[in-house]
Amino acid sequence: MFRLAMASMRSRLVAVGLVIVALSASMALLLTVERIQQATKSGFNQSLSGVDLVLGPRGSGLELVLYTVFHLGKPTNNITTATVLDIADDPMVEWSVPVALGDNHRGFRVISTTDEYFDRIKFGGDRPLVFAQGTTFSNLNEVVIGSEVAEALGYTLDTAIFVTHGSEMLGELHDDFSFNVTGILAPTGTPTDRAVFVSLEGYELIHLGWKNGSKAVSLENLDIGTIPKERLFPKTVTAVYLGLRSKLGLFKFTRKVNDYPEEAISAVIPGVALAELWSMVGTVDSVFQLLNWLIIGISIIGMVTMTMTGLDGRTREMTILRALGVSPPRLACLVLLETIIISLTAVLSAVVLVRLLTLGISDLLGQWAGIRIQLTWLAANELMTLMIIVLTGLGASLIPAGMVYKRSLHRGFAN
Amino acid sequence: MILETTALRYNYGPGNKLKFPDLKVAAGEKIALVGASGSGKSTLLNLLSGVLPIQSGSIRLLGRSYNDLKPIQLDRIRADHIGIIFQSLNLIPYLSGFENAVLGLAFSKARRAKTEDVAHVTTTLGRQLGLAPDTLKRRPNELSVGQQQRVAVIRAMLGCPELILADEPTAALDPSATKKFISELSSSIESSTQAIIVISHNPEIIPWFDRVIRIGQE
Repeated sequence: MFRLAMASMRSRLVAVGLVIVALSASMALLLTVERIQQATKSGFNQSLSGVDLVLGPRGSGLELVLYTVFHLGKPTNNITTATVLDIADDPMVEWSVPVALGDNHRGFRVISTTDEYFDRIKFGGDRPLVFAQGTTFSNLNEVVIGSEVAEALGYTLDTAIFVTHGSEMLGELHDDFSFNVTGILAPTGTPTDRAVFVSLEGYELIHLGWKNGSKAVSLENLDIGTIPKERLFPKTVTAVYLGLRSKLGLFKFTRKVNDYPEEAISAVIPGVALAELWSMVGTVDSVFQLLNWLIIGISIIGMVTMTMTGLDGRTREMTILRALGVSPPRLACLVLLETIIISLTAVLSAVVLVRLLTLGISDLLGQWAGIRIQLTWLAANELMTLMIIVLTGLGASLIPAGMVYKRSLHRGFAN
Repeated sequence: MILETTALRYNYGPGNKLKFPDLKVAAGEKIALVGASGSGKSTLLNLLSGVLPIQSGSIRLLGRSYNDLKPIQLDRIRADHIGIIFQSLNLIPYLSGFENAVLGLAFSKARRAKTEDVAHVTTTLGRQLGLAPDTLKRRPNELSVGQQQRVAVIRAMLGCPELILADEPTAALDPSATKKFISELSSSIESSTQAIIVISHNPEIIPWFDRVIRIGQE
């Protein structure tokens, strides 16, 4: 029976082949898109942990989280250091880590912060940042780089680098002061891998001679040792990561910050901001998914149509099998068996296709968005999806199978 | 007695009622059923094969009455005890001659049990019918009509089913090929256990048969 089905399908190789291609391509599309969506979501959700609140200028909380944590977009406003210090003194605050953003190094974001950053900021649940080589910065001219920065630019400890002003790679170079790599972080699979960290004071220093976005005085003419400490104390920062003593006061504290009288600031819970993001992209997601399922439905209809139109050309075959004593139910099974073989072949090639596709785009996604896509053959939920598709195909094939059954029942051999 | 029918009738609707003579066929008998077109030859073949339900009358094959059997049991009987040869297009196009020839065994344990060395029996039968083993390897579209009909004979004969039914098996052959084919067909019957019924409108084949039954004459 199986061999008969195989031989029969081999005789219709082109049609069967095209149906398999359509089916497997649509399944592969569905699975790949799902994997990308999943990877994006978990990538974002895993990027930051251990931080209770992100404090920034008043505005969209989502925007604040996107540019501070994910380096997407540009910061618009800063908050004053006076406010930051005041908030940090609040009895509910356990720790605070300010960050100032704005510059880049060869396209990688420069984050100026305190060395506490590496102790406080966690990722992927509760994993701490670890130095693969070296240690944190302790001098003005020291820099810590993420693993991808080190790999992409071939940097090692003690490499001297310059920072470019602004977020564009082609901005003006801070060529009057160089930083030495003092630490390289271990890979995290988060935007941290693509970041360059300097101290707040070092960052302040390279902007010392700047007015309105361009250099007025070069540092080359200055003896850096003579600059008074308080001149290097930043007057503003982009945002502050906060840890609270107790999660219970989270909402109360957030309200208090949002009502801060001296400056327009706000505090966001990173998870809440991300949930806002997911609800925004959720609609697009589901439209995409709906389209995908439509394509799969069309492929299944294609398979059933091919089987049905094929039946007319196979009356001889069916008559001969009837003459050999094959019962109508068994003839129907033969047709079902063919669709089972077609759909299983399609599933297998879809799995291989997904594997190749994800391998192909994983590098691209990693570089572009820091997203790590799942590279397994088949996950349990994907197996579920494929099974639903196969069962649907099988259900739809009951139509041609039923046709064969009805045609062969109570009908003689007509010549 | 291999086959016995009594008072078989078939009604396709008003003005098209068919009535068949009673048949009694013993082992070794070769019977020609002769009748003009429209006389109901094909209907009779379908009734005897068990693919068309009996409306009135009865059929007994090897002592079992078709009237008592369900359609699926009739399919079983056909697989195990009846070999059928059509007038043309007997073969499945995507299988080789050999694969077509042994296809019947795939659907009947009983017939498979009666065939010890399938390849050997098939080639021997093929030789008797003038088919070289190489010819059997070819696809149906590479075989002449006469060769296709001989492959169909092998398929009907393998596993020694008790009743061979042939529906106009020579219709596609020219007169000289017809005689040769009919003589080969009738000589491949195992006279102790098998019987053959050939439906035809060709009087030339009559000399090879023990009895001639005319149908459709009332």
